[in-house]
Amino acid sequence: MRKMMMSAAAFALLALAPQSGWTQVATVTPGKDVSMVLLPKFLGILPFDQAHKGAEEAAKELQNPAALQFLGPTPQNSVAGQIEIVTNATTQGVKAIMISNNSGDQIAPAAKVAQAKGVKVVTWDSPIPSAEGEDVFVAQVDFSEIGKVMADMALSILGPNGGKFAILSASPDASNQNAWIAAMKTALKDPKYAQLNLVDTVYGNDESEKSYTQAQALVDKYPDLRLIMAPTSVGIVAAAKALQDEKLCDKVKVSGLGLPSEMLAYTKNGCAPQFALWSFVDLGYLAYYTAYALATGAIKAEEGAKFKAGRMGDYAITKDPTRAKGLRVLMGPFTVYTKDNVEAAAK
Amino acid sequence: MTWLQRHVRPEQIRELSLLLLIVVAIFFFGSLIDGYYTFRTFNRIASSVAIITVVAVGQTLVVLTRNIDLSVGSIVGFTAYFVGTLIASHNSINPFFAVAIAILIGAALGVVNGVLVSWGRVPAVVVTLGTLAIYRGVLVDLSGAKTVTTDSLPQWLIDLPLLNVLPIGSLDIRALFVLALVIVVLFHLGTIYLSFARRFYAIGSNPEAAQLIGLPMKSVVFLAFVICGALSGLGGFMMLARFGNITVEAGRGLELSVVAAVVVGGVNIFGGSGTVTGAMLGAALIGTLEQSLFRLGISEFWLNAVLGLLILLAVASDAIILQRLRALWTRAELKLIVGAPEKRGTQP
Repeated sequence: MRKMMMSAAAFALLALAPQSGWTQVATVTPGKDVSMVLLPKFLGILPFDQAHKGAEEAAKELQNPAALQFLGPTPQNSVAGQIEIVTNATTQGVKAIMISNNSGDQIAPAAKVAQAKGVKVVTWDSPIPSAEGEDVFVAQVDFSEIGKVMADMALSILGPNGGKFAILSASPDASNQNAWIAAMKTALKDPKYAQLNLVDTVYGNDESEKSYTQAQALVDKYPDLRLIMAPTSVGIVAAAKALQDEKLCDKVKVSGLGLPSEMLAYTKNGCAPQFALWSFVDLGYLAYYTAYALATGAIKAEEGAKFKAGRMGDYAITKDPTRAKGLRVLMGPFTVYTKDNVEAAAK
Repeated sequence: MTWLQRHVRPEQIRELSLLLLIVVAIFFFGSLIDGYYTFRTFNRIASSVAIITVVAVGQTLVVLTRNIDLSVGSIVGFTAYFVGTLIASHNSINPFFAVAIAILIGAALGVVNGVLVSWGRVPAVVVTLGTLAIYRGVLVDLSGAKTVTTDSLPQWLIDLPLLNVLPIGSLDIRALFVLALVIVVLFHLGTIYLSFARRFYAIGSNPEAAQLIGLPMKSVVFLAFVICGALSGLGGFMMLARFGNITVEAGRGLELSVVAAVVVGGVNIFGGSGTVTGAMLGAALIGTLEQSLFRLGISEFWLNAVLGLLILLAVASDAIILQRLRALWTRAELKLIVGAPEKRGTQP
């Protein structure tokens, strides 16, 4: 009886759907054979490994008989390698590619060719800035919000009297970091942050040694620097280690975006009192659901399309306010970690 | 023969001029950068020079035999990563055992290079360019996308780079720097006084002659690669200690700094001449340049361009200046031997 009522309800929903097209939440059909590629910025660091785990979890839930291919370039070959992987995947005839873009707009031509061959191109973590060649971007958090969070963390660490701080970013081509830095600069215009003085932006290329040396160079160059803001998981630990080695932790603090498991020691000893992050496992999971839904035709990449992403619930495709032409699926939320909650998250 | 010619060899003039160049560079950067003359600057340069030096000593041996090892950066990264992973999962491991493992891993990778060059008869440039890519590729593949992080390492390893062996006032002489100096002294004395080690020079300066007198060419070249690998392994351990956080990227591009150090240090790229101490001076110059250009905020691309320029200048100056100097010295020696005719010529 109950079953009948449920199916009746489902039927009613279906019957209603055509009239109110945009409110329809599509459910994806499991078990379809969809070959997909998950392409991180590069191989070898923990956040992308976690995203891979999340995507595998989604793949298992959706019982996709085609194994997920986790393909990435080596770090030193990130830009060219990403383009090559997209081109190869297109030739092999995969159905969807999920990209964390590290190549700026340089990847757009390859992505366009892929789309022309019917491949769905979903970006996650880091979008294609011009949105050309991209169906939809699965955004971890609203980019302008990340900018504001970084400004807030800086304010809370430096206090109302403010002080000098510098940004230690990933590579100059990383479109997500660039967007966050731009968003942070916009946020800083608010009079609330008037005492925060951003003096420099340097790039560690997501290399541990380079980031370490850059952090050292920053404290040499600005003797009255009070904070290094690193919106990258590689940069933030390298900066914390550099300041600790210099015995400068009481004077100069570190903040930004990092992984609790890697930041635990520095947050405990006060070197990095606050940092933020979202779940990369969830991000990989959601990216997989989005790509699967697009590739199986459950949804179209257009504004207003809604779908159910397994355990994470319902999501909608909307316009991306940070990019003129882009569409996005907004994940959220993020967590700000302090010494009170970092230990639990590190496990 | 002048006093100068009697007491100083042309190679030593080159090393002295390199020393002068380092002093000039320090004054140059000191005038550009505020607060440059501090102990902190010294420590920065010394820590970075230490790693380059240890690897450059190994590279010197290889270059002496008319070969080159381009895979050193990958060996350093490979060792740093795997020894780091090992220590992270076995925190109670004996420090000396950990160092021994690093040296062994490096030596094993050097064995591959050595076998292919000596017995595979493939030119060293090709072999080591291949292994440069292969070692890094294997590292990326085996790493399973994990990073070695400082918090997983035992306290002794975290404290090691800050360990102050010889405090002179507020100047630190740190353990890793001392280790590099010890390696230089050992290998410098070894290559000068051990007849066995003179074979590296013999093979490089005249391979045909070396073969004629029956030197085991293949095993000597093989040995040079193994030692170079072993020292790169040690360099990998030092990198692990210094940076704590090791990704699969570790040591990338180090080969450029190391080859530059060796060549700028006066080791002839065509084999047969040069010293380990020269290589250390070369490393000191490169380290000073790297750290100082960094401090000036000059982009990495320019830094690499400067290194490339230095390599070219060093090789060119070897070809032009050093050969003239040697010719001058030889002429003076000849005059000394056949001194009589010269006197007769001046008598009337």
